[in-house]
Amino acid sequence: MIRLREVNKTYKGNVVALRDVSLDIAKQEFVFVVGPTGSGKSTMIRLLIKEEKPDSGRIWVAGKDIGQLSSWKVPLLRRNIGCVFQDFKLLPTKTAYENVAFALEVIGRPPHVIKQQVPQVLDLVGLTKKRDHFPNEMSGGEQQRVSIARAFVNRPLILLADEPTGNLDPSTSVGIMRLLDRINRTGTTVVMSTHDSSIVDTMRRRVIELDRGVIVRDQARGVYGAFT
Amino acid sequence: MAVNLEYVFRETVSNLKRNVSMASAALLTVAVSLTLVGGALLVKRGVDRATVQWKGNVELSIFMNATASQPESEAVDRQLKSMPEVKSYRYVSKPEAFEEFKQIFANEPDVRESLTVEQIPPSYRVVPREAEQTKIVGERFEDTAGVFRVSYAKEEVDALVSVTNFLQIMLWGIAAVLLAAASLLILNTIRMAIFARRREVAVMKLVGATNWFIRVPFMLEGLLQGLAGATLAFGVVWIGRDLIQDRIAGARNDIQLFKQFLVTGADVTGTGILLLVVGVVVGTVGSALAVSRFLDV
Repeated sequence: MIRLREVNKTYKGNVVALRDVSLDIAKQEFVFVVGPTGSGKSTMIRLLIKEEKPDSGRIWVAGKDIGQLSSWKVPLLRRNIGCVFQDFKLLPTKTAYENVAFALEVIGRPPHVIKQQVPQVLDLVGLTKKRDHFPNEMSGGEQQRVSIARAFVNRPLILLADEPTGNLDPSTSVGIMRLLDRINRTGTTVVMSTHDSSIVDTMRRRVIELDRGVIVRDQARGVYGAFT
Repeated sequence: MAVNLEYVFRETVSNLKRNVSMASAALLTVAVSLTLVGGALLVKRGVDRATVQWKGNVELSIFMNATASQPESEAVDRQLKSMPEVKSYRYVSKPEAFEEFKQIFANEPDVRESLTVEQIPPSYRVVPREAEQTKIVGERFEDTAGVFRVSYAKEEVDALVSVTNFLQIMLWGIAAVLLAAASLLILNTIRMAIFARRREVAVMKLVGATNWFIRVPFMLEGLLQGLAGATLAFGVVWIGRDLIQDRIAGARNDIQLFKQFLVTGADVTGTGILLLVVGVVVGTVGSALAVSRFLDV
């Protein structure tokens, strides 16, 4: 589903984000990407949705070499990938329902499809009652659920989550993780970067550890700590 | 590109509602700038018209010898009639010229009494089709039999031609600079409005909206703002022209300079259409350009 080969990325001022990174992530896998701040986790996610281009190396997503993708096809790539971020990235002027519906409107789905799918996915994330609330009327956990609903409403092949629990308290985080796990069970590949050791240790999924842009560990059913 | 029209209109309307202050800032910027441009263009039209009339009144005089014979006079008359450069001419006979002469020297009886009707040269007063042709027409008669002297207000003509040429270039310049300034001002206002909404654009990109899908509502917004602003400018220019024209019409008859400064309704309509086109184009293209800055992710 995702394949990186010898990918290098350096930002201005010789800041190395990724060095010689190669990895394969299979369909329906659930992968944690761990490592300290600045180790290249976010860069990896940005590369996968082509928000950044690698300096060298090749990246395949869903069987396509995205380096060969012409810029007008990038939106089509992104429709196959749902994204969830630490800061939710919701539109403050739209309600929960409208934020989710927006993702479908933007890719040209007809109104009757939107009316059918948005309530479904809001039900999945447990926000049916809050559908007409604006983001500032919801808790952080609820806002993150809206953003997951938005990422998932289009049934993407891949869900990328960049520290989705970074702003949430532990018990709320557990709820979010259950949700991501459920989404993974529907067949969606999930790649999640995180700092949260307890989550990684509880879930026991594949762990890829980055340190200064280099993969230092790739372990099936791994834990957060490096020396186990 | 299959864009859901309902979505585009709903999005445009709700954005305009939500950003009322930004939208009205852009609209007023368009209106004020285009009013200035329109004003400058209309003043230029007025000066053009006045110039044509000023130039149209330039004369040259062909003085015949006081003793010139009838055939000599008729020869000049025939030649004037056949020249395409000549718009009109009239013959000033000896008695008429004498009357003129007496008027000019009304306060100087000595001079007035020194000449008789017979000694006054008759003349042809010639109006050339264009002021620039005065000299060409005049030179043709300098060596003609019976002609005493050709007199033309050469320096006055030269001055008039150069002043009006300069005025026209200057007004073009002012209109062009105002137009450029207006475009930049409008662009900047739109850019600020879109900058305030860059988060929304980023989210649209994230969920896979195509660039055109993002651009179209912004462009439609820009188009509406440009159109509304230009319409306002059109109205202001129209009313302004009517007010000024009324003042001129009410002024004393003998102020020819103002009377000739004429701006017709067609001029205003033409300028207004230009303003509408500029408003729409700058609004639409400006929005497209401004939003493009946030699309290259």
